This record gives sequence, structure tokens and C-alpha cells, in this order.
Amino acid sequence: MKLCRFKGIVVLGLLAAFLHAENPGYQPDPSWRAPSEAASRPNPLASRPETAAGGRKLFIRNCVECHGKNGSGMEKKHSADLQLQIVQQQSDGELFWKITNGNLHRGMPSFSKLPELQRWQIVLYLRTLTSSK
Amino acid sequence: MKPLSLVAFLFVMLWGATSAAQESPFFVTYTHHLEEPGNLELETSSTTGIPRNGQRFYFAPYTEFEYGVTASWTTELYLESQSAWGDSTVFTGWRLENRFRPLKREHWINPVLYLEYESVSEASRIQKEIEGGGPDLTSRNALLTSEHAHELEGKLILSSNYHDWNISENFIITKNFSESEGVEFGYSFGAARPLARLASGGNCRFCKENFSVGAEMYGGLGSTLDFTAHHTAHYIAPVISWAVGENSTLRFSPGFGLTNESNPVLLRFGYSYEIQGFGSRVSRLLGRRP
Repeated sequence: MKLCRFKGIVVLGLLAAFLHAENPGYQPDPSWRAPSEAASRPNPLASRPETAAGGRKLFIRNCVECHGKNGSGMEKKHSADLQLQIVQQQSDGELFWKITNGNLHRGMPSFSKLPELQRWQIVLYLRTLTSSK
Repeated sequence: MKPLSLVAFLFVMLWGATSAAQESPFFVTYTHHLEEPGNLELETSSTTGIPRNGQRFYFAPYTEFEYGVTASWTTELYLESQSAWGDSTVFTGWRLENRFRPLKREHWINPVLYLEYESVSEASRIQKEIEGGGPDLTSRNALLTSEHAHELEGKLILSSNYHDWNISENFIITKNFSESEGVEFGYSFGAARPLARLASGGNCRFCKENFSVGAEMYGGLGSTLDFTAHHTAHYIAPVISWAVGENSTLRFSPGFGLTNESNPVLLRFGYSYEIQGFGSRVSRLLGRRP
């Protein structure tokens, strides 16, 4: 009986932690916008969807710490819920620009240390993040 | 190290995780890429000097704690020592450095401001940078450790990414407040790139994407008393890094001395391990909001 209660508490705790980890109320920084030239750049890997698997690996390595495993963001870190329509409706070029430049004063680092194609791979993987939101 | 410990160490290094961190392969040259906020990188490295006539073989290990305070500010603490053949082993001091990125966006050239305080003895041989004429490679440790230096060092770091190459230039200026030797100058330049542009989908340890290669050149430029590139130490050094695990990187660089004031060969090894979300974990431990 005690074991069942303990398991229940653990499950509730994990559930609470999971819900707390999301950031469905994320509001983007209005001043963080890609120049139109950068936003209109197409993804050079668009015709190679198999490279999204490498993007997933890069996402886990570089992005999960702040955005969570499923990309739903973290309220305490003010990180974007990448599943939200407000993020997904942005162009590939816009997302690439944001990964490249970061938003240093809002805590998002620049990932320009990654080769350019690897940043496009991350963009490709971001498109696979789906939710019912 | 006991055989079992050695096996465990190698197991953790090579089989613990299989995706890879992307660290700069340089030992001396800084780029504009800072530590991610909240991450702590622990690094242990060494500089080994192969002597020429009148010099002593030495081994200078150092430990580095690098923390990303914010996305535009990284701070580091160094503890260093030195052991010379036929001489002694000494603790040579500590350094505290800070790097700031003043610009919000990526540019053609990205500046970073670097400020460091050093409390080191003249026996220091790690040569994280070379300023003035370079370190004294002939005197005994007993003499060198008695001369302690309180130094303030500044660097202007300029760094560019071009077709997956990183090209960086560092300009160094140092003032020793313990002696009146003027203001010393130094430089370092480097270029490096990863071997692969695309990340593979599977986990791999020896695939090209885990390796970065390049070269750097560094040396001293004298001081305000004698601004010169002659009679100072200069090196050219190929560099290679291998991301052996999700958070760990091995680096190696053989440096070749270009002047009589340099060691003929300078061997550098480094191993770094990054703890992601270190700041958040400490905050949680202290019951604070990260």
C-alpha cells in the first residue's frame, strides 16, 4: 500500500515537473526579427529530409537544455515553445537566422560555431516538432 | 593509476556517450564563441616544452573552470603549476578571466573584449598566451618562484566565420604591477574548421563531424620599452580536436618554435568536460529560481 502511494507521488511529481517545464504562454521578443533578406533564404536541405535525423542529434546536444526534449520550452528559462504556431509559421530562413545569431540579451546564445549546414539540419528537425496547440 | 581505474576512465571517455560537443581546437587563440549560459566546462590541459641548449625539459599542467554567466559573458578560473626536469615542481599561480561580447548579432568580424587578472610567479610556463619576450626558460624554479607578478591583461579578440572556417585574431596587452617593465604586447592568430559539414543521423565516435583541425600562430611583441618581434618567442602550431563524447573533447597541438627564445617543440594536450545546466542545478540545490 505504502509502495503504491509512493509510486503515485512520484508519478504526480514527474507530471507536475513536466507541465512546469513547458512554456505554452511564450511570447516572442518583438525586436528579435531577421532582416528580410535572411528570412527569405530557403533551406538548402529541404530536398534531403533524411538529414533531419542529424538535426535531431544536434537539437538534443545543443537545444534540449533550454527548450526541452520535445521542444516545448521551459517557463523558468523563458525559452520558446518551438511547437507553437507562432514559431512554426516563421520561415526556414528566419529560424536559421535566430539559431545563428541568438538573442544574447534574452539568454539565447549564438550557435554560429556549428557549420552552416548543421544549423539548417536543426531547422529541418524543428519542422518535425508537432503538437495539438 | 590502477589498471581497473584506467579501464573505467577509458570506458567513460570512449563508450560513455556517442554524440559530440563542438569545441574550438585552439589552445591559445580565442574565438567569439562563448560558453552557453549556465554551462560549466572543466578542462585539464598541459604544456610540455622540449628544450634546446641551456633550457630544461618542463611539464606545465593547468586546470580551467569556464562558466557561461550570460549569453554574452563568460568567466574562467585557472590554476596552474610547473615541473622542470632536474629542478622542482611548483604551483605557479591562478588567473581569473572574463570575456564579453558587446554586439548583439553576428557580423563579418565579431569583437570580444577580454580582461584577465593574473597572480602568477615568473615560473609560469603554461603559455596560454605569450607576451613580451616570452617566459624565462633557463633560470631555476627557486629563483623564478620568488618573483611574483600581479598582472592585468587585456585582449581584443576579432573572430569571423567564413565557409565553416573560423578565423580569429587576438591582440594582447599586459601590465605587470609588480615590476616596472612597461606594458607588454603579444598576438595570436588561428584558423580552424570541422572536417564534416553535415551531422550524421546515427551515433558515431570516429566520424569526421567529431573532428576539427586548423593551425594557430602566437608570440610576443616586446613591450613599450622595446617593441619588437626579435628576441621574443614565436610558435606555429597545428591543432586538432576530437569530440569523444556528448560533453567531452580531446585536443592536441604540437607547436614549433620559430626563434631561439622559443622551445623547439611545445606539446599541448587538453581534455574538457562540459556540465550542461550547471547553474540551474546549483540554483535548485540552493532553493532559488534558476
